[in-house]
Order: sequence, then structure tokens, then C-alpha cells
Amino acid sequence: MPSRRFSRPRAAVVVTAAVALLLAACSPGGGTASEPSSEPVAGGTLTYASGDAEPSCLDPHVGGNYPQALIATQYLESLVSLDDDGEVIPWLATEWTESDDGMAWEFSLRDDVTFTDGTPFDAAAVAANIAHVQDPATASSTGYLALAKITDVVAVDDHTVRLELSAPDSALLESLSQVWVAMESPKALERSQEDNCAAPVGTGPFVVDEWERQDSVTLVRNDDYNSPPADAEGTGLPYLDSIVWRFIPDSASRYAALQSGEAQVIDNAQPDTIKSAESDDAIEELDAPRPGASNRIELNSGKAPFDDERVREAFIRSVNVDDGIQSLFFGTAERSYSPLSSVEPLGLSLPDLFTVDTDAAANLLDEAGWAERDADGYRVKDGKRLTLDFPVSTNQSIPAEQSLFEQIQADAKTAGFEVNLHPLDLSSWYGALAENDYDLVSAPYTKVGPDVLRILYHSDSITPAPSGYFANLAQVDDAALDDLLTRASATSNADDRESMYEQAQRIVLDGYYILPLYDQQNHFLYSSAVQGLRAMPTVSTPTFAGAWLVS
Amino acid sequence: MPGYRRWLLLRAGGVVFVLWAAATITFFALRLIPGDPAEAILGGPGSQAGPEALEQVRREYGLDQPLVVQYLTYLGRLVTGDLGQSYSLHKPVATAIGEQFGATLTLALCSLVLAWALACGLAAWSVRGGRVAWAIGSGLELVAAAVPHFWLATVLILFFSLTLGILPPVSVPGPLGIVLPALTMAIPLAGFLGQVMRESLLTAMESPFVTTARARGESEVRIFWRHTLRHAAIPAIGLSGWAFGSLISGAVVVESVFARQGLGRSLLSAVQLRDVTLVTGIVLVVALAYTVMTLVTDLADRAVDPRRRAVVE
Repeated sequence: MPSRRFSRPRAAVVVTAAVALLLAACSPGGGTASEPSSEPVAGGTLTYASGDAEPSCLDPHVGGNYPQALIATQYLESLVSLDDDGEVIPWLATEWTESDDGMAWEFSLRDDVTFTDGTPFDAAAVAANIAHVQDPATASSTGYLALAKITDVVAVDDHTVRLELSAPDSALLESLSQVWVAMESPKALERSQEDNCAAPVGTGPFVVDEWERQDSVTLVRNDDYNSPPADAEGTGLPYLDSIVWRFIPDSASRYAALQSGEAQVIDNAQPDTIKSAESDDAIEELDAPRPGASNRIELNSGKAPFDDERVREAFIRSVNVDDGIQSLFFGTAERSYSPLSSVEPLGLSLPDLFTVDTDAAANLLDEAGWAERDADGYRVKDGKRLTLDFPVSTNQSIPAEQSLFEQIQADAKTAGFEVNLHPLDLSSWYGALAENDYDLVSAPYTKVGPDVLRILYHSDSITPAPSGYFANLAQVDDAALDDLLTRASATSNADDRESMYEQAQRIVLDGYYILPLYDQQNHFLYSSAVQGLRAMPTVSTPTFAGAWLVS
Repeated sequence: MPGYRRWLLLRAGGVVFVLWAAATITFFALRLIPGDPAEAILGGPGSQAGPEALEQVRREYGLDQPLVVQYLTYLGRLVTGDLGQSYSLHKPVATAIGEQFGATLTLALCSLVLAWALACGLAAWSVRGGRVAWAIGSGLELVAAAVPHFWLATVLILFFSLTLGILPPVSVPGPLGIVLPALTMAIPLAGFLGQVMRESLLTAMESPFVTTARARGESEVRIFWRHTLRHAAIPAIGLSGWAFGSLISGAVVVESVFARQGLGRSLLSAVQLRDVTLVTGIVLVVALAYTVMTLVTDLADRAVDPRRRAVVE
């Protein structure tokens, strides 16, 4: 079709004109937010639109990722929870004691709670749940790791349970607060995995009613609900009749659905959307950074050129991250200088290590032997160019983050680094990591508590699992650090624990193993008709237990 | 009719070959990309799979077998009509496809009908309106054929949902929900069909039988619907099989943007999760639909054009 060749310029003109017309036609919708009423109203259906991939299984024991945690928060509950200060508080367990040697924990359980299929919640249920998570057939990854030290579960009496450990675990309570190890009906767990994935049974404020694949999950109110965590306001029933949990992968469509009233709450709000929602009175924002690690770029110290600390420091001193975050995230993300999320009380921030100093960087590279530059301006040593491979997971890095990496690439070029960005889908990205085919990488990690440092920076985590995946992507191999992290995870003395985690973070930051960027972004936008919405202080998932709709 | 039977036999053989080739290429293409499916099944952001869990998954899905063995096992099962088990959905592939196929088929058929209606409507209007209308119609078709789905979808949402507020921006139950997705797929296709029709329309309009009709005093519009459209439509009908295939691939984008159920979305997530059995299953179903559609267009072609019947039989 030769005519196509000529159509392009004409098409461009028409298209541009059409866009201009449409944009002109789209005047900003006037915000007429009704005054929030202070009295909760019962009833109504709320539509939640998620931008995450639809979980393949609604039981977060299976696999165990964030999209599962988001929805499971509405129907499953854990033994303990956290309050806003990060203190552990009662939930399905009322109190607990650690044995003197730290090898066992005894939990007293609530005796008035039943699962929504009528099965009572008791010590046997706890045992069945831990066994389910630890059963290889369940294929749990996140939950499995959280409960790794539990060797035996003993029902002391109907409502007292003792967890016996292979080693003391200072992170046990934090681990148990995560929805990936929440309590499900033992009777329901006996069904086939296919059935249990389709409709897990918990004690939570809502019940899974129906799952229309690739469309929505319908959750209805649990009319017998009586077990909110200790910090919840009120103890009554949830107000909403039902929640329609939809999956709308496209960011613009999701926002359009919120604006047009098809949805009342959306997640994965992108920086540009959050910015434009600021001027809309009918839309509110909930910013709930995820716990665990901050979003950071890991420098692979396991091979050249980053096995040389000077080269790592030179890289970090060369790139201006602040300006990129400012311009690409429109002020919705705050720069981090810590390996841990800002919601972690024990996070250590060392901003001075990350000031940009291109002269110092140049000197460091000269010292390290990368003194010459080739025709393209890149530094070379022994005829080899200073090249860095940076596989980027397009599933995990949002567009703004990918643009940030491009800015980092440009900054690094000025300093003489050739950064090769490789945008990859999730499986190929895992593949590149397994092959040790990277110098830079950014990988999120969500977990409650500072024990995430042990998973990410203990040298044990360099040893790949049979799949080839490993969590210590910076390949930090430091005996002093290993020792600190091991002792911190075993101590029951809070002060010791705090001091050891501080020293551990100092080693990671001082060694220039990582370039922290910002917290794991977790922004929600919701209609101002929604009241009483809050994020769980555990894994920052929103809960609708106390939410209501203003009519 | 030995000629007809031979033709049918050849076509059937062609269908089988297309299906086999589609299954084989998809199977190997997905397995040759680096990345461990077992890790993808268990993994995902922020989770680290334990070795026991990985072993379990490998055994369960036969991923510990050599690739050739996996392939032959897979083909063997296909022959018996078993599409296998989807590991990303924890259910049989046939069930997963069954749940989603209806939505995509409805969308594709609605889009195809809408595209034909738009293309014929525009052609009729531009025939009646003279030189200027002809130029405008032709220009619109060029633009329509060139716009990408994701852009068009966004513009339609902006206009119909956010500005006018008359149509939902995401799919909802009922007929209203399908309007914007179908329109998004129909507009580029209409432009394409229109362009193809226009050339033969031009030829037909200058042919002697049209001159005769004009001499009889028939109006241009009547000539269009009665005579020239038939000629113009033939090459476009031939393209409908292809168009159907392109609609299914367009569904990948459109279903995601409008959050509609359907095979396109299943395919996208299955590829990302390296769910080989599900991807291959979907590709097979789409290939089957495509070949069937091509067969149907061949038959339609004969119905519209009597000359074709004479030639083949």
C-alpha cells in the first residue's frame, strides 16, 4: 500500500489537531466534595481497582506476593499485628511469652473466634496453618521463609499453642504479623489447592464470595465478625455490604475509573496521576510506604569492576539521583539514604555518604586504574571499557523509575561509565540475575522488620537456591556483617538488637554496596466518599474493616 | 465433485499443519528464553522460593525432564485433546480458555461488524458527496488505519467517559461495557477495510455497467449499494480472515486497557509468567479460530462473486 507512505505527515497533522481539540474539551472536572460526615453509614458496595497482576491464587500461603497480600487483608487475619509505632499488638493471639533460651514461644489464643465456615479458631488451627505453609506441596515462598525456624507446633491446650524453634528468632512476631502466614480454616485447607485458591476461608471482616477470573473478586461482609486487631477503632461489624475487587492493569484507565465513579479506590497510583489528583477535591490520597527494604540500586560487589570499593564509591558519587526523583516523581517520593524503609523504626539514614562529588569520583577512578578514556569518552583499563550491565524488570520498575535509571545512565556516562540498561520481563530478569549477568540491579523486598537485612546482606544469601535466585544481589560478603545479622536475629534484648542492626546498616552503607532511592512506593487514591480507610501497619495493605461510604 | 473434495482435504491438512507449527514454535520459543519457570511460578517481587518448594514445582509440572521429552509428552497429550494444566492459574488450560474465550469472541465479532458498518457507511457517504467528500473519506480512512489501539482507547475514554460521561471507561456488565472496546478495535480496521474497498470501488465506478446504470437514471447511492459495493467488497472480504486474526491480537491491548475479560489478557499474563501450557493453548485456539475464519471468508467470497464458483468447481 504505497498510499501509507504519504499518509504519515497528513495523519500526524490530523492526529495532533484531534488531540488538541480533545484536550481543550476536557476541562478539569469541578470537584464538589461533599462534607465528610462523621457518623459511619452501614451498607453499600465499594469497588477497588487494582493495578497489580491478578493473583493466581487468593490464598497468600501459596507463593506469597504483594497482590495476594492486598486482597487477603480483607478476609484473613494473623496471630499478631503492629501498631503505628511498630509495636507488636494482640490480634488472634491475646498474649505471648518467649522461653528463657529463646527456643520456644507460647501464645494464648482468643477463644471466641470462628472461621467463616463455622470451624472454631484454636490451637489445632494454628498448627494446621503452620503445617500448610511449611508443606512443600503448598509451594509457599514468602510465608515459608518467615516460618523457617519453626520446627514444631504443640497444642498445650485448646487455646494455647507453643511454637518450638531451631534457633532463637527475634523476628518471629514480626514475621507472624504478615498476611502471608495468616490463619485459615483447617477444614478449608483440606480441600484441593484449586478450591482453596479460589475461595480461602479466614476470620476476617469479609468473605470471598465469587471470583470471576480476569474481571473481579466479590467479597461480602462477614456478619459474625468479632476479631479486629487491638488498635482498630470500634469492635463492630464492617460497614460495607460488599467489595468488588477489580483488576485494571492500565494506569490511565484505572484513574479514569476512579474519576468516573466506576471505582472508589485505586492502587498503584503513578506520580503523574497523584499530582493531577491533588487538584481534585473529590479524590484523596493514601501514601503507605511498604515495610522492609527501601527501593535501592544494588552494586554487584561479587565481580569486576564493582569488586573494587573505589569504583563503587565513584559510581555513587557521580550520579545525581535527587534531581531525577524531583522531576520524575513530582514530589510524591522522598529520597532515601537507608537500606530500610522509612516505616522501619530501626532504619539508619546516612545522607552524607551520597552527596554528589564528580571530582572525587574522577580521582577514585584514576586511583583504581580506570584513568584513560576511549574515543567515546568512556573510561578504560587494560583496553577494557568500564561497562556496567543493568537489567531492569519492567514488571517491577514503574515508568518513572525506568526514566530515573536513564538519567542515572546519562550522569554515569559523563563520569566515564557505560551503563547498559536491559529492560526485561520478570522471568528473563530472574534469569539474568541467576547468571550473575549484572553489575547494577534494583529489586524490591517487602518484609516486616529489620530482619530483612539478614535476608538481603548475609553472605548465606549469595548461595543461590536451586533455581539460581538469591536475595543478596549486592553480593556483600563480610564476616563482621554476617555475625551482626546472625546475633541480631537471635537476641531477645531490644537495645542490643537495635545497636546491632545500626552497625549492620552502617557496614552496608559505608561499603557503597547500595544506592538507596526512595521507599517502596505504595500510593492509593480514593474517592472522598470513602471514609475510615487505613493501611495496616504491618505490610501497608489497606483494610476496609472500618471503611464506609458517604451516601 | 472430486475437485471440491480435494480442495477441502488440502485445506484440512493445512489446518492441522498450522496448528502443529503454532504449538511447536510457541513451545520452544518460550522455553528458549532464559529464566526458570519454576521461579516464575513461585516467585514474583519480594519473595524467595525455598529449594523444596522449587523441587516440588519442577516435579509436579515435569520441568525436571529434558526439553525434548517435555515437548513430546506435550504433543502426545495434545493429540488426545488434553491441553494440560496451567501452572500460573492452578487449573486446566481448557477450563481457563473456556472461561475467557467467549468474551474475546464477542468482542472480536462486535468489532468486525462495527468495522464493516463504519467502512461501508463512510464509503457510501463519500460516493454521494462528490469530490470533496471522497477526499475527506479517504483522509479519514488513512488516519483511522494508522492510529494505534492504546492511543485510540485513551482518547475515547477521555471523550466518552470523562468529558461526556456517557460510557464507562472500564468494562462493566451489559452491552454498554463493550461499546468503547469494540469501537477501539473497529476504527483502525474500518480504515483499513475502507482503503481496500476504495480502490476497487474506483475501478468499478468507471466500468461499463455503471455507465449503463447511470444512463438508466439510477442515483449514485443506489448504484453504490446495488452494484459497485459488491465489487468493492470482494478484496475486503478476503481480508476479513486476516482481520479477525488481527482483532484477536488487538484484544491483548484493548482488554488490558478496558480491564475486560478475555484471552488477550490471559495471553499477556501467561507470557509474562512463562506459563508454556497456557500460552500454547491460547495460541492453538487462536490459530484454530483464524484458520476457520479464513475458510469461512473463502466461502463468503464465493457467495459474493459468482465467477469464483465457476473457476474452482
